[in-house]
Amino acid sequence: MKLKYLILILMAFSSAIISCNDYLEIPPMNVVQDKDLFTDATGMSVYMSRMYSQMPFEDFKYSPARQFFDDWLVTPGANSGESLGRDAGTAMTSEGWARNGAYWERAFNLLRDANRLLETLPEYQANFNESDYNHFIGEAYFARAMVFYALAKRYGGVPLVTEVLKYPDNPAEDLEIPRSTEEETWDQVLADFDMAIANLSESSPKRGYANKFVAYGFKSEAMLFAGSVAKYNNITGFGQKTDVRVIGFDANSAAAASKKYFREAYNASREIMKSGKYSLYKKKWSPNDKEAQFQNMVDMFFDVSSPENIYIKEYSYPDLAHGYDSYNIPRQLMGGNGYSAGNCPTLDFVELFDGFEKNEDGTIKVFDDNGKYIMYDNVTDIFANAEPRLRAYVILPGDVFKGEVIEIRRGIFTGDASNGIDPLRVVNGGSPDYSISGPSNYNQVDAYRAVGDFAGQKLLFLSQNGNTHETVELPDGTVMNAGGKSGPFTSDGTAAMTGFAVRKWLNPNMPQSLVLEARSEQHFVLMRYAEILLNVAEAAQELLLAGETAPAGDDFKQIAFDAIQEIRERAGADLLTSVTELELEIIRKERKKELAFAHKTLWDIRRWRTQHSEMLNGSTQTDGAYYKGLYPFYSSTTGKYFFDAGLDEGRRRFRLNEQEYYLLIPGGEVSKSPVIDQQPGR
Amino acid sequence: MKKILYSILFCLAAVSFSSCEIDNFDLPGETIKGRVVDQATGELVLTDQGGEGTRIRLRELSWTETEVPDNFDFWCMKEGIFQNTKVFKGHYNVRIDGAFIPLVRTNNSGDTIADESKYIDIAGVTEVEFEVQPFLKLEWVGQPTVSNGKVTANVRVTRGVSPADFRAKIEPLGGYSDDMLNITDLRLFVSQVPYVGYREWDNRYTTQINYDGNSFDDLLGETVTITTNGEIPAGRTVFIRAAARINYATENIRRHNYNEAMRVEIPN
Repeated sequence: MKLKYLILILMAFSSAIISCNDYLEIPPMNVVQDKDLFTDATGMSVYMSRMYSQMPFEDFKYSPARQFFDDWLVTPGANSGESLGRDAGTAMTSEGWARNGAYWERAFNLLRDANRLLETLPEYQANFNESDYNHFIGEAYFARAMVFYALAKRYGGVPLVTEVLKYPDNPAEDLEIPRSTEEETWDQVLADFDMAIANLSESSPKRGYANKFVAYGFKSEAMLFAGSVAKYNNITGFGQKTDVRVIGFDANSAAAASKKYFREAYNASREIMKSGKYSLYKKKWSPNDKEAQFQNMVDMFFDVSSPENIYIKEYSYPDLAHGYDSYNIPRQLMGGNGYSAGNCPTLDFVELFDGFEKNEDGTIKVFDDNGKYIMYDNVTDIFANAEPRLRAYVILPGDVFKGEVIEIRRGIFTGDASNGIDPLRVVNGGSPDYSISGPSNYNQVDAYRAVGDFAGQKLLFLSQNGNTHETVELPDGTVMNAGGKSGPFTSDGTAAMTGFAVRKWLNPNMPQSLVLEARSEQHFVLMRYAEILLNVAEAAQELLLAGETAPAGDDFKQIAFDAIQEIRERAGADLLTSVTELELEIIRKERKKELAFAHKTLWDIRRWRTQHSEMLNGSTQTDGAYYKGLYPFYSSTTGKYFFDAGLDEGRRRFRLNEQEYYLLIPGGEVSKSPVIDQQPGR
Repeated sequence: MKKILYSILFCLAAVSFSSCEIDNFDLPGETIKGRVVDQATGELVLTDQGGEGTRIRLRELSWTETEVPDNFDFWCMKEGIFQNTKVFKGHYNVRIDGAFIPLVRTNNSGDTIADESKYIDIAGVTEVEFEVQPFLKLEWVGQPTVSNGKVTANVRVTRGVSPADFRAKIEPLGGYSDDMLNITDLRLFVSQVPYVGYREWDNRYTTQINYDGNSFDDLLGETVTITTNGEIPAGRTVFIRAAARINYATENIRRHNYNEAMRVEIPN
């Protein structure tokens, strides 16, 4: 018994002694410490990797439906009218609706990492030479600028977290930061880009890192956004909790702010131009050779050494791969996961380009003067002289991809064509109706249902899906499937549902057996010289319209004109005839063409505030609007092709309210915080 | 054995005690009922049902655990009445926003210069009536006619608030322009359900007429004839409603004023 007490006393005593020893207060050995990280460039690369893995880059792992860092069903363009797909094809009224939620929390995680670097690295400055040290500081500002830019374009004013919030050192209530005004937020974006530019090295010390010109590039894009919002936005209001103007600009300062931002965009673009480090990709280009110009524009997205690339995001299998090929491959080349044709360009997009016959209103000409279809010997004839850039971005019916003719055909018309063929979209013997009230699917038209003028004789044949075809015996005895190998089909969206398939970004050398999810590793071009030229042109034109004068030695009009001409020449498009022809609308159109399928148009039409108001096939997106497709048909009696242009068969409705240019702040963030405001009026 | 029994009992008791604390909130069982009426005529102000219609926003001021009360929004019925039977008992600020002069008006610096919203206690069945000044008033003139699957209706549009009154109320908010009074579009919505309106319309048949500048002003008080688009199949029943709006947004949305929905049979 005595022994027991003794042991107890000893235990109590010894525990008291042990707990007093300082030498046991060591940091956990399995956690990497600041002093190990901030030692040299190698240690820093760990920190950098973590930051870069959280960067809000809109690449092969971004879609409005699933936000960042998610490569499922990535179909750039399908939320901005460049394309439609089975799984996408609505206006972006919120983000991350399919999964992952809105971009909010992830933003603040990266902000913390960036702020921490800014606050901690100075303690270890002695470990680095001056240029490395400055570069890493620049990286932190670059990350912060990118996050604030990503937030500002989504939400307007956001909480400007510019230091590490220390919790639990401080009570959570003291760390609440309300949203700033939209103008303050853009000013922060500007300031952070400027700090990044001041500190970053002229060339990236390591592949994938930013550099001065990367920062200039994104700065010019961000400032163009800010300038456009200041100029074109109509929506404003004050936060309910803070009375801060969290969206929109004060009418008294908007014009001045807009000019300031446009000038920043202009100057940043000019810095890149003057540096002489970048140029348009023209390795295979040759004048007056459309084939070479086409191949040149295909290759430029796969050439890592392209002088046009300012910033690219690289991938590698198996660590960091994506599934672009798998989701977007034409139907007939479908890979093992069963996805295809997720990104079918709209006719509205195709009509932006030159090189084929158009009506006066700019729509494609498919009817002759008598209202009968124009007949073509080959399915490729209608686009035979199309702008090379169009062919580099879009697989047109009958184009060759991976050595195979991509067969895009909606159906076969077996009726007599000696007097021409009348428009197909007719129901119950009425007159042709290509409006929204007309037939949406070709299985509703008279020629298919054998009613009206076609009573008792079915003259139109379609394919239900990729496996179920109606067939037609041709005059020479061969049997032909109604639909093409790549569609479009009556009820299968994994085909060229608009009559087109995307070509841009699709790896032309990938064997079909590897066309799988999480198997593609081609890089994504986040920023290239062509965008800089388009930025400079738009900023210059906006400054001209605002009555601003150019910096000494520059002529706004001439610089904008040269930029557009340079892009058009490389693309093989029709050149402008004179400098007076140049208007804002022309610059914007060029931008929509050149920067298609890159998540750029998505934000352009939002910052121009044109998405809700622009007339689109008779309606605006405020009321709900639809895009068009171009449907090739084969006339079996003549052996010729004709094309029917009209609203997309799937009738994908794009609807966007003016309010929705500002995405909602996640509801949970608003209700749990005493200072975070929801968007005014919502 | 007994020991085990006791210990089990004790455990059970402990468990049941810990779950005994009752929820101290009553179910949200109070009701707020309301009407939105035209200040001048006492008639109900008809609206759309949904995001572009009249919105009712409750903020519970008696709830102090969140510093700034959350918004509790719901939408007015198309007849201009609203009801919510699942409201917590308490003191509330009730504001409504629709196609009428805003009740809460803030100027260009965010200062509230007029607040005609209501501060009320909601308990049992609480009834409220908002008197507002609708921008426009729409009326049917006579009965619609149907021919070849098209419905033709006559509509009369008048202002619910005089331009002078509109200006007096809106100008202090900043950025005023006479263009705000312009009627930009007149629509004849068609749907197969009675809840026809901006959020429920068949775009194959619905008609929209746009007006530039103040060109509609000459038509104010006149009978305007408007016909549906396309061809509504014979034998269908459709519901139609006319709507018009001015070039002024409340809570960042340009909202329509409506007349009542009317049932139309398309004869065989």
